[in-house]
Amino acid sequence: MRKRLLLFIALGWVLLFIGDRVDELRVYQGASIAVYTIAIGSIILLTGYSGQISLGHGALMAFGGYVAALCVANASLPLWFAFVMAALLTGIFGGVLGFAAARLSGPYLAGTTLALAVGLPSLANQFSILGGEQGIYLDPGLPPARLGEDFSQYKWFFWITTLAALITMFWLSNILRSKYGRTWRALRGNEVAAQLCGVHTGRQKVLAFALSSGLAGLAGALLVLTISTVSPSAFPLSLSFALVTGAVVSGIYDLKGVMLGAVILVIIPEIADSVASRFGDSLKIISTLPGLLVSALLILAVLFTPNGPGEKLHHLRHKRKAHSG
Amino acid sequence: MIRNTPKKRALFVSAVIAAGAMALSTMPAQAASQPGITSTEIKLGITSPLSGKVAAVYGKIPGAMKAYFSHVNDNGGVYGRKINLISKDDAYVPTLAVKATNDLIMKDKVFAIVGALGTANHLAALRSANLSGRGVPDLFVNTGFSGFADKAKYKTTFAVLPSYVMEAKIMAKYIDDNYKGKKVALIVQDDDFGLDAIAGFETAGLKPAVTIKFPTGADTVAAAQGWITGKLKPEAVDIAIIFATTTTSAAVLGAAAGLQYRPTVGWMLGSVGGDSNTLRAGGVPLAILNGAIGTSFAPDPSDTTDEYVNFFKSIYAKYVPGSTFDLTVLQGMNSAMLTVQALRAAGKNPTRAGLIKAIEEVVSATISRAPLPTNGLPTNS
Repeated sequence: MRKRLLLFIALGWVLLFIGDRVDELRVYQGASIAVYTIAIGSIILLTGYSGQISLGHGALMAFGGYVAALCVANASLPLWFAFVMAALLTGIFGGVLGFAAARLSGPYLAGTTLALAVGLPSLANQFSILGGEQGIYLDPGLPPARLGEDFSQYKWFFWITTLAALITMFWLSNILRSKYGRTWRALRGNEVAAQLCGVHTGRQKVLAFALSSGLAGLAGALLVLTISTVSPSAFPLSLSFALVTGAVVSGIYDLKGVMLGAVILVIIPEIADSVASRFGDSLKIISTLPGLLVSALLILAVLFTPNGPGEKLHHLRHKRKAHSG
Repeated sequence: MIRNTPKKRALFVSAVIAAGAMALSTMPAQAASQPGITSTEIKLGITSPLSGKVAAVYGKIPGAMKAYFSHVNDNGGVYGRKINLISKDDAYVPTLAVKATNDLIMKDKVFAIVGALGTANHLAALRSANLSGRGVPDLFVNTGFSGFADKAKYKTTFAVLPSYVMEAKIMAKYIDDNYKGKKVALIVQDDDFGLDAIAGFETAGLKPAVTIKFPTGADTVAAAQGWITGKLKPEAVDIAIIFATTTTSAAVLGAAAGLQYRPTVGWMLGSVGGDSNTLRAGGVPLAILNGAIGTSFAPDPSDTTDEYVNFFKSIYAKYVPGSTFDLTVLQGMNSAMLTVQALRAAGKNPTRAGLIKAIEEVVSATISRAPLPTNGLPTNS
């Protein structure tokens, strides 16, 4: 564990170093990658470990986003506290949902969470305190003055999101190796067998759902920070699908590849943009290509690396070892 | 061997990351010159709805601006530089406007944003992309939101349309002068665009008997039928004011035509959704438009006696053949013309700060002579 902590600290330093060297656009993309990393991590916890499927994590992110924005805009609470509240309240909300989710499995659970993704964000249009489609403005504030005048707002976002991602991943990698992680894996493997071993399956499922929701809420709050506005359109249905795809591409049973999925989710719209510009900036291509790429990637990942690239590499290494040995 | 693996792996990972960091750190630094300006080109960017519900009407703005810029480019450009307008779609959705604006500034590296459309959209984009803090000129926004006049908050934003508050006050005065005591219904979007209008009517002392606030995008014909049968009853309403987009006007008037409904005095339309040419092209029957009163800040696009209308019309016919010339096009070309004038005023080697200064100087020089107080100018309207 201490080694892992050191590794995370080293990673943080390297990211800090990189953030200082690249231009504004890359820094901004880096912040998005950090946000997606947390969101994908929450899916890995839920699906990869506890075996529950969620197509509604976009809605949970929306919940967290609104909590954070309301905390800052209406209650003028400090930013860090808003993030904690977002994670906490979304976790509680997820826990309540988890009670329903624990009774469902497979396609039924997928369907229920999907309905959540479709319905929840547009609720904001019904209550004026949630600001309708215009949304709520989350004032991120200026970066601390002692960081200097050249310190851009995006770099500030990058610092916040990256720090949050590092802490989350450290916590997640620990909990997944703990008793809980093992229990969840047992659950995923065989529910009946786990029950026979004395695992309280219902309670464990709810716990996993609540923790995963809390992480999704935090990711949502950070996403809102990077765009300074929360509105239903920030959490489209495609976001939920993209997160699942990101998790599958990263290797859903393992946390190690989590950044890969996040990087891919940020890169895909860029690729779509550059392809579209070759075809004379066709609007149709720009709006449909990202979805197409995400789905194609999901299919390819399921076909070729169902357990993620990490395991594939592992296999290759073993094969090579077997050959040389 | 096994015990060594994690350490080795950690070493490997950190080596890769460090190498990546080094590679990235050697990437060329950004040029110190002005973004978006080369010796042959000035790159400008616009965000507007090119897809979605309101696209049919307002999606014409980038094309109209490009038409005027092409005309300027074909006649030598601005001090030899050709204007290249990059247009991004925001589908009239604030979060998409944020992304589009960020892309324009960071990826396309435009010199300035021009003619960005939509109050809620541009507010979100302005805040998120921090145009003011970065000193990116934000010229001639296509919204009359009075908040953009706040120079302390939006240092680089310049408006061209009269503010919605001002417009609402003018409408309120007209009603007070001609229809004193009549019951008024107000249909507005539930965002800063609508709130601005409400504020204007309130300042002028007009209290609507009925106010319908609807979330953006909820202005369907079915919803409009509900408003008419539920709230705009003849005994409750004499004058119905639609202060929203053309999409809303078309939906409400279309629903009214279907229900054979008409407020006892009649309809009043705000400038945003009140161009009869656009509404008729969108299928609103002439019978229902007859007698409706609309406000406008520009000459009628079908007025052949107006010099500007004729000038813009001939350019538009040349560069965008086959497209109807309406108020949206006129407005787009007008802001394009202002943009060219501002760029010329900024001199042969334009900088972002220079452009802003040039506009501010022109504004302060003409302010006393302006026939109409425009939004964004320090007047006490």
